[in-house]
Amino acid sequence: MECLTNTKIQDYIEGTLNSVESAMARDHLIVCPACKKKYNEYETLEKHLLQPVEIIPPAIIERRVLAELFPLLPSYTSIFALVAASFVLLVTGIYIYFDFANNSIIQAIQLTTNTTSNWLATLIKVISAVFSGVYTIFEAMNRVLKLLLKINLGAEIIGLTVFVLFTLLFYPIFKLAFRKLKG
Amino acid sequence: MIMDEDQVLIKKILGGKKSSFEELMKKYNKKIFGFIYRMVRNEEVAIELTQDFFIKIYGVMSRYNFEYKFSTWAYRICYNLVIDYIRKNQAQVDSLDDDAITQKQLLESENYVSEDGFECLAREELHHYIWKVVDNIPVKYRELVLLRYLQGLKYDEIALVTDLPVGTVKNRIFKAKEILRTEIEKDGMFN
Repeated sequence: MECLTNTKIQDYIEGTLNSVESAMARDHLIVCPACKKKYNEYETLEKHLLQPVEIIPPAIIERRVLAELFPLLPSYTSIFALVAASFVLLVTGIYIYFDFANNSIIQAIQLTTNTTSNWLATLIKVISAVFSGVYTIFEAMNRVLKLLLKINLGAEIIGLTVFVLFTLLFYPIFKLAFRKLKG
Repeated sequence: MIMDEDQVLIKKILGGKKSSFEELMKKYNKKIFGFIYRMVRNEEVAIELTQDFFIKIYGVMSRYNFEYKFSTWAYRICYNLVIDYIRKNQAQVDSLDDDAITQKQLLESENYVSEDGFECLAREELHHYIWKVVDNIPVKYRELVLLRYLQGLKYDEIALVTDLPVGTVKNRIFKAKEILRTEIEKDGMFN
């Protein structure tokens, strides 16, 4: 019998020969060392090809694709919620500040209790100081605007505008941090 | 109509669920990147093309026909993307046709030589060696070998992806294995 062609050997390995051809190939491989050698080589090759060496893709691919397809834009509802919360915080802060200026809260605390009032008074003082600083900045900004553009918006409106801009600027970072925390 | 796992994900993606797209990307990232990397043999280019692939897939997902397997459709898009790149950058994607580097040089450059010489290469090293040779065969054979063994496609599926007749696909894969066997034997790696 003639030696097996490379195609025939590969067909035999893949099991695509009919039963007669397959039996003939098997018989030939028993008596022909040259064909048997080729058969072994093809078989080894097939075995290794069926188990590809894995290449791990860099994580940057997924990150870039997601950033391209789903940019982290703030939603209108969340912007509104954040701005509203900021405004409430601002108004409360200013109220505490002015109340502190009149000493009414401090006096009330001192009147009700003398022992536990120290830390509470200090806390209120700190909060008031922070808000007083912030309010002073807004007031200064308002004065500058008044001087330059001849418009008087008021420190509260300036404060609200600053909060809106701050929210828009930092919202994507907050969202990313939230996403990471969420896993 | 019964949908497979991929098709369920696609339905969700089309319905606006972003996390399903992330899931789909995680599932195919390794296979797609592996295929592209072995075709272009340049990590930066492979990263760029893999990104382009996923962005493109997302953009044309609404045109996907649920009668066909998603993987075949996706591999076809990936295949066309890679072939376009290779056509435009032929000189950079060389192969055994014009590659002056012999397999032995390849082995030496990769520190594959063991203390007792080539004959004592461990099975693992032989495995890596064979795949290195795959990376160096001509593109027209390499693409089919990768689709068959890396992506696990059948001959008829490869024919759909590449637009080649099934007979041509099978003949080329057999020819590719003949080239691989000859190259490996030439370097005495089967011993």
